[in-house]
Amino acid sequence: MLLYGLTWLVVFQLLGTAVSVLLVPMLPGPIVGLVLLFIFLLVRGQLNESIQQAATTLLRYLPLMLVPPAIGVMAYTHEILEHFWAVVGVLVVSLALSLVFTGWLMQRLIERQARRQEEKSC
Amino acid sequence: MLNWQAAGQAVVHHPLFSVGLTLIAFQMATWLYAKTRKLWCQPFLVAMTLVISVLLLCQIPYEEYRQNNWLLTIWLGPTTVALAIPLYLNLSRIRQLFKPIMLTLVIGGAVTSALVFILGWLFGTSHSLLMTLAPKSATSPIAMLVAENLGGVAALAAVFVLLTGVLGAMMGPWLLNKFQVHNPAARGMALGLTAHAVGTAQALHEGEECGAFAAMAMSLMGVLTAVALPVAVALLS
Repeated sequence: MLLYGLTWLVVFQLLGTAVSVLLVPMLPGPIVGLVLLFIFLLVRGQLNESIQQAATTLLRYLPLMLVPPAIGVMAYTHEILEHFWAVVGVLVVSLALSLVFTGWLMQRLIERQARRQEEKSC
Repeated sequence: MLNWQAAGQAVVHHPLFSVGLTLIAFQMATWLYAKTRKLWCQPFLVAMTLVISVLLLCQIPYEEYRQNNWLLTIWLGPTTVALAIPLYLNLSRIRQLFKPIMLTLVIGGAVTSALVFILGWLFGTSHSLLMTLAPKSATSPIAMLVAENLGGVAALAAVFVLLTGVLGAMMGPWLLNKFQVHNPAARGMALGLTAHAVGTAQALHEGEECGAFAAMAMSLMGVLTAVALPVAVALLS
């Protein structure tokens, strides 16, 4: 049942919102909900098929849901043009550099760990 | 005499027009990507371009479009929560790579924020603009809060976050290929850490493991930005 799984996800988002307001106002409700559901799954030790089905369905359409908020860039064309060089220089350059750096670092660390484990098993 | 103009206006300003526009643009973009498999045909960007063109052509203000699409966007919250599932399914892999993940998060997160400060100083950006740009790799609600606390502009922070996400998802796969980062866990980590939700969507497209690591990196980076960035700024100034 897809609806059953969707209901769980909605309930956890609402729980997350409550916890966010009560305890961690610097974190948004959905992120707290993510952490809560993850902890719930860890404690329970198994994944309900219906939740998995609902999650897969929603995640498949994540790019679709992101389109309307992303169009907001249009409403700020003026501000972006005003700060054009800061945007290009700081945002684009730092984004490209940190993207490559993070990916490279993670891959190196994974390879290093794999090598060490191999040495250990030898 | 048929009133074509009235009919046209009724269709264009019907709430479902905006929803239909999003759906049609998204499917056309996905179809185009499946046909061409070109990286610059990144479906998300093509869909955005199509929607913006139609909105400008039909003179629909962004506010109207956004409000009429609430039925789609309200699911963003539960979908964020749903990211717990790929995380849980890849638990053994995440446990196995726990040390690389934590090291990449702390070093990568620090470098990402430091780069903004260094480049901002080089380009001579104002303090307020710098504080608006600093949290750009976190999801927008976190970035808006942090920017506001640091003396930046919340609305503009949301725009920078969006731009970062869209550009990251567009350039990310290409850049990572160029620098021979092929490990799905590493690719996911890079996309989620620097380009939050849009990057995660792109990573999910590449595969489940890649998506799981992106989802995790996104949440961890969000927490790190919310907690560590204000502290770092306070220490620096």
